[in-house]
Parts: sequence; structure tokens; C-alpha cells
Amino acid sequence: MTSARQLRLGGFFSVPGNHLAGWRHPDAVPAYDMDFQLYAHITQVAEAARFDCIFFQDTVGVAGSRALARGERTRAKLSRTVKLEPTATLAALAMVTTHIGLVATATTTYNEPYDIARRFASIDHISGGRAGWNLVTSQIEDEAENFGFDEHLAHADRYERAAEFYEVVTGLWDSWEEGGLLRDKQSGVYMDRDKVHFLDHVGKHFKVKGPLNITRSPQGWPVIAQAGSSEAGRDLAARTADVVFTAQTRIDEAKAFYADVKARAARYGRGPEDIKIMPGLTPVLGRTMQEARDNYDYLQSLMPDDVALQSLSHISGGLDLARYPLDGPLPELPPSNAAKARQALVVKTARENNMTLRQIARHTAAGTGHRVLVGTPEYMADEMEAWLEEEAADGFNVVCNHYPKPFEDFCRLVVPELQRRGIFRTEYDGKTLRENLGLRVPENRYTRQARLSLAREAS
Amino acid sequence: MSKGQRQLRFGAFFSVPGCHPTGWRHPDAICETDLDFRYLADMARMAERGKLDCMFFQDSVAIPGSTAVYGAKPFRVKNGRQAHIEPMSAIAALGAITSRIGLVSTCTTSYNEPYNVARRFLTIDHISGGRAGWNLVTSQAEDEAVNFGRDAHFEHGVRYDRAAEFHDVVIGLWDSWEDDAFLRDKESGVWFDFDKMHILRHKGKHFTVRGPLNVARSPQGRPIVAQAGSSDVGMELAARTADMVFTAQTTIKEGQDFCNDMRSRMSKYGREPDHIRIFPGIMPIVGRTESEAREKYEELRSLVDDGVGIAGVARLAGGVDIFKCDPDGPLPELKPSNAARARQEMIIAMGKRGMTIREIGRVLAMSQAHRVLYGTPTSLADDMQAWLEAGACDGFNLLFPHYPKPLEEWVTLVIPELQRRGIFRTEYEGKTFRENLGVPIPPNIHTTHRSSVQVSAVAAND
Repeated sequence: MTSARQLRLGGFFSVPGNHLAGWRHPDAVPAYDMDFQLYAHITQVAEAARFDCIFFQDTVGVAGSRALARGERTRAKLSRTVKLEPTATLAALAMVTTHIGLVATATTTYNEPYDIARRFASIDHISGGRAGWNLVTSQIEDEAENFGFDEHLAHADRYERAAEFYEVVTGLWDSWEEGGLLRDKQSGVYMDRDKVHFLDHVGKHFKVKGPLNITRSPQGWPVIAQAGSSEAGRDLAARTADVVFTAQTRIDEAKAFYADVKARAARYGRGPEDIKIMPGLTPVLGRTMQEARDNYDYLQSLMPDDVALQSLSHISGGLDLARYPLDGPLPELPPSNAAKARQALVVKTARENNMTLRQIARHTAAGTGHRVLVGTPEYMADEMEAWLEEEAADGFNVVCNHYPKPFEDFCRLVVPELQRRGIFRTEYDGKTLRENLGLRVPENRYTRQARLSLAREAS
Repeated sequence: MSKGQRQLRFGAFFSVPGCHPTGWRHPDAICETDLDFRYLADMARMAERGKLDCMFFQDSVAIPGSTAVYGAKPFRVKNGRQAHIEPMSAIAALGAITSRIGLVSTCTTSYNEPYNVARRFLTIDHISGGRAGWNLVTSQAEDEAVNFGRDAHFEHGVRYDRAAEFHDVVIGLWDSWEDDAFLRDKESGVWFDFDKMHILRHKGKHFTVRGPLNVARSPQGRPIVAQAGSSDVGMELAARTADMVFTAQTTIKEGQDFCNDMRSRMSKYGREPDHIRIFPGIMPIVGRTESEAREKYEELRSLVDDGVGIAGVARLAGGVDIFKCDPDGPLPELKPSNAARARQEMIIAMGKRGMTIREIGRVLAMSQAHRVLYGTPTSLADDMQAWLEAGACDGFNLLFPHYPKPLEEWVTLVIPELQRRGIFRTEYEGKTFRENLGVPIPPNIHTTHRSSVQVSAVAAND
């Protein structure tokens, strides 16, 4: 292998398709939302292509539930309604794969840290060290009402809770030091009491005693991913994340984001290699550039206007966009408590490209803000290589308009081109996700304390 | 197989590395069954080879004995039950490598949110093709409370009140979508039939949950609901809601009384008596000869730890400090326990029979007070057949003292004997857990009204 910097690739499975009308494409298999055998297939395709990981986004509710409850029937055209819960799915996928990382979102807003710590550690044990947790805060109003709240927490409170949640989870992951289970049949002692630790966390949002009832997992800690792009989100990521999933559509902005997160990480004493930045990328392939553009136009034509407009509803700040002319400009939007960064991005894209309301709506619905790359395999490899070399990205999270064909085509046509250029592996580097991503195993805090106090005594 | 013969059913109870708390010291015991998933996978295949109804995973959301009454000496270091793989993740994974066996995981209603629990079990049900089961429990140990922001666990009545409402929310969410709600019609662009989606809009004492669930309806109609409560309030909840009951009964008479009591409670909820399957627990010890079985039993008995046993009594003592009592003296008067209430009644009964604290502890520390059944395949089959024919059970939950060998012996030695007698299946009856358990699909709660309207409309036309 050459010494060229290596791309990281994630398969971001937004089933049955990230494009809201993608499921209507003749090649699409719409049952991709609920059929585990199909999830297994696409994961095996990603593993055969040597992807670092697969990734499932998540929300704890049906998107648009409030609208559904109001009787808005347009919503019945939206495909991403039901799917398999991602953490259970990861556990099952571990049984049909051997090397690929298994990453899923779990919200810090409507979960308990003990439960999340336990579940991801369990998946790490089951998979032999391939689990990853995408730590998010819930930002969809639809979710709150499934958990006894009328609306979700304010942005700042959510991040405060998330930061404390992270502290509790990682603290629990360190509950057991190496050798904590003696299992000594002779003496009859199963556990070494001195190697098991109470966390005794008492904070603003959580009070958790510990210890966790599962030992430290093969990766020490499962890999931690984050996706927040706001100020608070970037800062938390810089301090705590191993991987950052982000939506960047232009190389100049991506470079600025990349430099900013790595600089923030440095302030927390972390090296540039300790945090991998992976923007989302939606491939639309063709044998020629023209064919690729035609494929994209065809896909866009499958999207009804009402469906396109729905994609803006959660960032519209409560404005009813259906009352504005579709061929006119995007109106001024009131501030949104939900996805602040996402709203700013959409407005900027519309203004800079002089897009009509219909165009920005279709554009948003098509990629949910992620970069849509339309072209030949060579063009795609050129773009990805350029982003890698110019430090706009460490890799990409590949999210497809429907499944499985666009993903299979990416693996069949684009991955070999990346491999030929020496910027993507042909074999896995190791067995765990940390090994494959080139990340260190975090030292157990109690082991470190013991080591440091021993060193002090010696000196 | 003789037609009409009642059939035994089995759950393989998993409390790795052993249901005997110190059974892990046995030379055959593999302690790594607690965390090395490859053992669980192998055992799942073994249990499926034996056509068992299900694997049934115990759980607690803490290291047992890590706080509370143990004060300055937390942890029960001799107990093998310390760290284990979270069982819902385990059954999700097992769903991918098995094809017929039911997969039951315990999950507490005390420290979870119904939306999350509904979603995860229904997902596992889809992954496994309709083989998931939820053992609905309430948390009863301080060890657990302190991991979830509380100083003490909920009072017994509150726990059950919350559990009942939790159950109803979960069921309401599981029924969010009718079987044929998803049209996925490319031509019209319509993804689902709006009228086949049901929004729960639950507003109760403990929970407010709008819905709908973001998972389609179960391949078996609904995941199986199992329960283990044997107190009065626990039995009442089970009579209303459970498909399967796990209980501790040690004589045929007790088993009959329990079954009759449970089934008699069901009609007021509009349920038939055979819509519930009752599984007392047994700890089986199999030998090829009676003397081999007896030797194995004595060997496991010799591994019982008095300290573990007395700690077990202390947990059920309702605040009486058992550690200050003479272990070889009588069991003192106990205050009503806020922990496992039926369990406490069981040890009080042992005390009345004249057992000392140590002796009672030894029963808990061997089999968690479940019946220990040792013998040859023939004598075990005789015993179980007698229970079955007396209407004292529908089957048994098998608490293996350690793993994996006792499970293997069950499958290779005992199952063939039962099959020969025609009281255990030689093939699974169906693909789903519900089909194999032989319990009906409950009607969708959101459409019950509509179908009764349709039925009366039909009747009016006649």
C-alpha cells in the first residue's frame, strides 16, 4: 500500500432511500425499510467493498407525526416512515459480517445513559469490537410527544444534557479494569472487587452510581461519532468524537469546517488523526456525465411537489411554505429551535444558487442537505480525491437515493477506482473498527490513575 | 405421536454463567458463557436442535448486590452473575442465526420508556421473523434504582401500576399499523394507507405517548408477552396481559392451584383459559443412571455458598437485618418486602416448616428456590409427565445450574425420551413463536371496534 492518505468510507443506510421519491424508481426495492435480510445484504456488499463502517441514522418517532395526527394525508407519500430500530439491527448484523464497523444513532435526549452504555458495550462484545455510537440530541418536535413532552428541550439544554450523558456513558464503560473477572474455580472468587469501580456520578441531569454490568469491550470504548454542526455541536465533537458525520456541500466550506473542528480538537489536546471527518455524499452515477445528469433529472421528476415541500417543514421555523408560489424565491424563515445549522445551510444554498421554492425543496428532499454528486465513476473519484488532498474530508458517508442498486453500483464502479489510485484499502487493516479507522484504544481511567500514582511513588 | 395428547413446552432459562449462583465452579462449567457471544450462539443452535419453545433471558440493570444492604462490602464476589451481555441485543443477534426458536428477553418497566421498548422488541420480532418475546418485569432491587437517578426502587403497588400502564402503551404502539398498511405503490406514489395507521394518543398517570410507532406490525401479530409475577397483583396483570407465565411452584398441588387460580382470573378479561402458557421453573440435573444423577446433584449441592445464600435471604427480608441473626436459628418475623413479594412468601413458608436461615439460604443459593429435579431421563420424564397430566403446568422453564453441558444433556438425553412418549414435539409446528406456543393473535386494539361494527352490520343484513 502506498503512503498516500487513505479515504474512510461509511455506508449511511437511509432506508428505503434518502431521496424521498427514490423508492418509486424502477430499480428501487421499497421493502428495504423493514426486511432484515435486505439490511444484511447491503451490509455484506459494503463489507466486500472494504467499507470502514455502515451507519444508521435514527429518530424516535415517525417523521411528521404531528402532521399525521392533524390528518395531513400528504404524509402518506413519504417513504421513510417505519424501519428497524438501529441498535437491535447492529447486533443482528454483527452475526452476518466479520470486519465492518457497525454504527448507529442513539439520542441522549430520550434515553438513560446506563442503558445506552450497556447496549453499545454489548454490541461491541457481540461483534468482536466493531460497534460505534452516533451521539445526537433530538431535534425533531415529533419525537418529544412520544416521551411525555410537548416540545423538545431548548438547543443549549440539549447539548448540556448530551455532554453530561457522554461523561456518564464513558465513565460506565471504564467500570471494569482488565482482569476484573477472576473466575477462579479453586478459590470460588468470580470477581476482583478492587478492579470494579463505582462511578458515583451526581450531575445536573443524571445521578448514576454504577458499576456497569458488562466488562470493558474489545475496543475499550465503542467508537463515538457525532453529527452536530452548530457551535455547541462542533465543540462537543472536537472534545469527544472519534468520527464526525457532517453535511458539507462545497469544498471551501468543507475545508473551513474541517480546519475548525481539528483546531478545536487540538485545544483539547487531541491530534488531527484522532478525529475523522466524514461528510455525507449521495452518488448519482452514469456512464457519461450526461447520462448521470439524466438519471438525476429522472429521479427528481418522481417527486411530487407536496412531498418536496414537506422536506423543508422541520427547518421552516413554523412558516407554512405551501402558501408561497412554487416558482418564486424561498421566503424569509423565522428562527428554528430545531435544526439551526441545517436551516442556515438550506437558506444559503437557495440564495446563492438563485433557486425557486420548488427547486430548493426538491434539492433538499433529494439529499436532505448532503452533497449530491452526479457523474461518472472517474469524476466521483476525482472529487473525493480532491476533498481528501485538500483536507476538506477524511472520508465520506455514502448515502443513496434508493436501495440496493445505487449502493451496489458505487461499490462496483467507484470503489475499484479509488483503490487503483491507492487512496482506499483493498484489505481490512485490522479486526476492530478502531483498528480500521486508525484510532487509539482509550486507556481505562482507573488503570491510568493507578499507573500514575505508582509512577509518583517510584519517583 | 398420539393425537390430542397434551404437549410439554420448554423454555431454556439463561442466567449465564449459571442459574446456580456458584455452579460456575463445577469442572464442566464454562464461565465465559457470560460474555463470549460465541457460546450463546452455539447454545441457541443446540436449543433449537432440541425444538425448545424459547430461550428466556433473565436480566437486571445493575450488578446484583452492588449496593444497598451490603453497605461497606458491596458485590457478592463469589456469585457468577456479575457481567453479561444485554439480553435484548443478544436476542437480536440470535434472531439472525436461528430460524424457529422463540427469543425472550427480560426488560424492566421501571426504568425504561414504553416507546423505546415497544420499538426494540418489535424490531427484534421483524429480524427474527416473528420470534420475539418480552418478559415484562418490574425492578425490585436498590442496585438498579441508583443507576437511574433514584435512591430507592418504586414501592410494590406503584411498580405494578406503572407496569400495567407501560404494557398498555406498548400494546397500543405495537398495533400502530395494520398488517397491510404499507402499500409501497410506485405508480400512485402512495407509501402507506393513511386509514390503516393508528395514533395512540395515550395520556395516563405515568405516561403520555402520542405514537404512532415507527416500526410496522409484527410478523406474529404481536411479540409474545411473558411475565413472572406470582404475587396477587402480579397474577392479575398476567391474567389480563400475558401469553406466558414463568413461576416457581414446587409440588403438583401448588402447580395445580397456581394454574387454576391464573386461569380463573382470565375470563373477566375476555380471555380463554388456554390462551396462557404456564411454565414453572425447574433446575434439571440429568444422569445416565440414578446414582450418577445423585452424585451430580450432591456435587452441585456441595458448591452452594452459605454467604451467597444468606445474602439472598437478606434481600427478601423487608428491612430486617438478617446478617445480625444466628444463621442456624429460625427465620425471624419479616416485614412485608418491597422486593419480590411472592418470593418472600415462599421463604416465610420454609421458615414455618422449621428451616433455619442457613437452610433457606442454601435453597436460594442452589436453584433460586426453584424445584431441583435430578434423575435419569426416564425418571425426569415420569415426573414432568405427571405434572402435565395433572394440569399443574404447560411446560417448564429450565434453569441450568451452569452452561453449556447441562443444556446439551437435556437436548440429547431427555428430549428424545419425551418425544418417544409423544408429549414433546419432533418438529416445530410453525414459523413464529406464537404459532409454536399455540396462543392466538390478539385483535388489533385500534380495529376491534371497527370489526365489531362490521360484524353487527353483517348480522343486520342476514
